[in-house]
Amino acid sequence: MQRRYRTISELKINESALAIAVTDPALAGKLTAMGVLPGTRIELVRPAPFGNAYYIKVDGVRLALREEEAACILLEV
Amino acid sequence: MSDSPGKPLKVALLGNPNSGKSTVFNQLTGLRQKTGNFPGVTVDMKEGRLRFPSGFDATLIDLPGTYSLYPTSSDEKIVAAVLTNPKDHYYPDVLVYIADVTHLEKHMLLLTQLLDLGIPVLLALNMSDTAAEMGIKVNIERLAGQFHIPVVPISGRTGENIQKLLHELERVLKNGQPFGLGETAFYPLRDLEKQVVDDVRKKLGIENAYQALLLAHHHSWLPFLQKHERETLETIVRNKEFHSLRAQVDETLERYDRFTPIVRQTIQQAGNAPDTPTDRIDAVLTHRVGGPLIFFGVMLLVFMAIFFGYDTTGGWVENTTGALIDGLAASLNESWFSSLLTKGVLPGLQGVLVFVPQIALLFLLITILEEVGYMARAVFIFDKTMRRFGMNGRSIVALIGGGACAVPAIMGARTISNWKERLITVMVTPFISCSARIPVYLVLIPVALPTSSWWTKALIFGGMYFFGLSAALAAAYVFKKILRTSDPSFLALELPEYRMPHWKNVWLTVWEKVKAFIAGAGKIIFLISIALWILGNTGPDGALLEAENKVRAEAAPTTSKDELDDRVAAKKLEASYAGMLGKSIEPAIRPLGYDWKIGIALLSSFAAREVFNGTMYTIYSLESVGAQEEEEAADQSPFERYGRLRRQMTNDRFENGDRIYTFATGISLLIFYALAMQCMSTLAVVRRETGSWKWPVLQFLFMSGLAYLIAWLAYTLLPKI
Ligand SMILES: Nc1nc2c(ncn2[C@@H]2O[C@H](COP(=O)(O)OP(=O)(O)OP(=O)(O)O)[C@@H](O)[C@H]2O)c(=O)[nH]1
Repeated sequence: MQRRYRTISELKINESALAIAVTDPALAGKLTAMGVLPGTRIELVRPAPFGNAYYIKVDGVRLALREEEAACILLEV
Repeated sequence: MSDSPGKPLKVALLGNPNSGKSTVFNQLTGLRQKTGNFPGVTVDMKEGRLRFPSGFDATLIDLPGTYSLYPTSSDEKIVAAVLTNPKDHYYPDVLVYIADVTHLEKHMLLLTQLLDLGIPVLLALNMSDTAAEMGIKVNIERLAGQFHIPVVPISGRTGENIQKLLHELERVLKNGQPFGLGETAFYPLRDLEKQVVDDVRKKLGIENAYQALLLAHHHSWLPFLQKHERETLETIVRNKEFHSLRAQVDETLERYDRFTPIVRQTIQQAGNAPDTPTDRIDAVLTHRVGGPLIFFGVMLLVFMAIFFGYDTTGGWVENTTGALIDGLAASLNESWFSSLLTKGVLPGLQGVLVFVPQIALLFLLITILEEVGYMARAVFIFDKTMRRFGMNGRSIVALIGGGACAVPAIMGARTISNWKERLITVMVTPFISCSARIPVYLVLIPVALPTSSWWTKALIFGGMYFFGLSAALAAAYVFKKILRTSDPSFLALELPEYRMPHWKNVWLTVWEKVKAFIAGAGKIIFLISIALWILGNTGPDGALLEAENKVRAEAAPTTSKDELDDRVAAKKLEASYAGMLGKSIEPAIRPLGYDWKIGIALLSSFAAREVFNGTMYTIYSLESVGAQEEEEAADQSPFERYGRLRRQMTNDRFENGDRIYTFATGISLLIFYALAMQCMSTLAVVRRETGSWKWPVLQFLFMSGLAYLIAWLAYTLLPKI
């Protein structure tokens, strides 16, 4: 079966995609409250210098997310 | 909401992080504010006085910033705990909600939650200066009409419309007419939520539906709930199979669905501003290689500013206050009071004053780094590194802040949501060399290395910071291995737009912190120096007189008067209660190379380490200064400070004639002061932040134990020259 989504770690730098869902309920509460919602456009700005985190933009707002946090945001292919 | 006398009206400020809340708070209150920063003051939040144009007053409370009423960290929990409990001391009569109008959608979530709680809300659209520049237009009437609340566009930065906000607030407070959505909630409860809410309302007698819902969500931790209330809620949630996390997400999404169209109808965007300076700056500051390098560069600059800043300011303060004390001593008649003043209290206070410019400078630099938005980048860069040591990226803010003073730094750790990460941060931050250690280091380094070059001493000084940081990380690593938690851990951090610092904010923050520091440290030092003076000048029946007579009787007739006075003073100190106390612990500290005088300083330093210099001054000024006291030469480096004190220390000897302050003793003392937990204020704040005595006690024991062990090793291994 083919996957119908990708995640932030699969984006190229400066590439963006629409979010379709936020999965992990423990993280989703926090992320949705910060504006990471299905339907918002997410852009990868750059990975953190020592890895393990991403600098992203969500509708013009800049966020730093850990790998696990980024992984629960499903993006459109 | 009528102004019933005796009960001052309360207004609270609330908003998302970075909405400009603190800036607006400062605009509204100026210097009429206080922070419950130090132990002894029970308030946790910033409070200020609001003075309305027509003359009446209200209390303004600055609540911590949060994105929603579903908190993940303990500072966010404060907000939910206050607003779900109408009996809370801080529960506001009116809430001023600060929203960043340039990202209005994101700020509506919390606003609609507040409306559903039925709290009267006044919406302040902040950053309207930036909005104007970006060509954003807001239909204020329409927005106000949709939510039935007053809306005022303001700018915390330019002060625009702050007066209007006050007027509007006064009108609302005086008229007291109900506003907001009234009975109709913004968020329609789902079936399951309705059942839960109905149960909660019935069993707990709560009127507001959303309040009831929040109680069900947060029943496990809300501090004001009685035991039976908690159990009732627990039962309801279990019986209804109410899944809090899932319900939170659903509610949030539903709210967004409802307010997004409203916001889009009221706001006109002039198209997105494409490339802001922030993107270009971040391309450098969060760069893979450049980012960390620049961070270390910035830290090095801060460190150099401390060191060289001390050269000018610390020396100046020491010389001026020293001259003042000497002048005062000369002009007063000799009495117990003048002695208490000029040889006890004032030299003690001088010990604190000497590094006030230093701590102010540090607070200033740190505040600027926060205010421009750089700290968030440091958190982002070092999150992974900090996690290796069981902490959170946010811990770096506490560790940097610990370089000024551990007390506010530890309170700042509240933004860390994971209990274990936060606890570790709280436990190891005091290892970072705080500004109270600077004068101690500056006295002791030249004592240990009297003949070394200036830059060797500077290197050792820098090494002390490195040593403290290493100890902090090592201890954190050990805690990481021991502690267990199931708390979720977050980075999820907003990286704010870079902004020029708003200087009013900066000055007020620095002023607040320095004031709290002087009040906290000053009080302790004042008491300790009085206690020390009394202990040093009294003794068991007639012991002091006996000691004096003995010295005078035994002295050869050729002894000069000065020398005789010196010997008398030394023997009197030895015979005093302070001397007895020092002697009683001498056996325990002798293995570290310390004598009973250092013992006295050590004992008093457990209240606050900055007492060391003060105590040393007091102890050594109990002896006459001696006629041979040379004039201080024009000083070349910070290490030339405290010359008088240091000369007396270096000449001091053990009973067997060995010099006390050898290389080994100096290093051993330096290590002890770098590692030991010698600060009551820190212990008190750790007690408050962790909610139990267990952690401060453990912290005291392991830090001081480690200090003893390593100091002993150093003294044993190093040459006693
Ligand atoms: N241009 C502009 N900048 C503002 C305004 N109000 C605040 N700022 C800036 O926005 C930044 C954040 O302001 P703060 O007052 O610290 O925000 P806060 O909501 O208290 O943030 P936290 O302390 O993180 O909760 C600072 O750099 C302010 O100088 C405003 O009206 N216009």
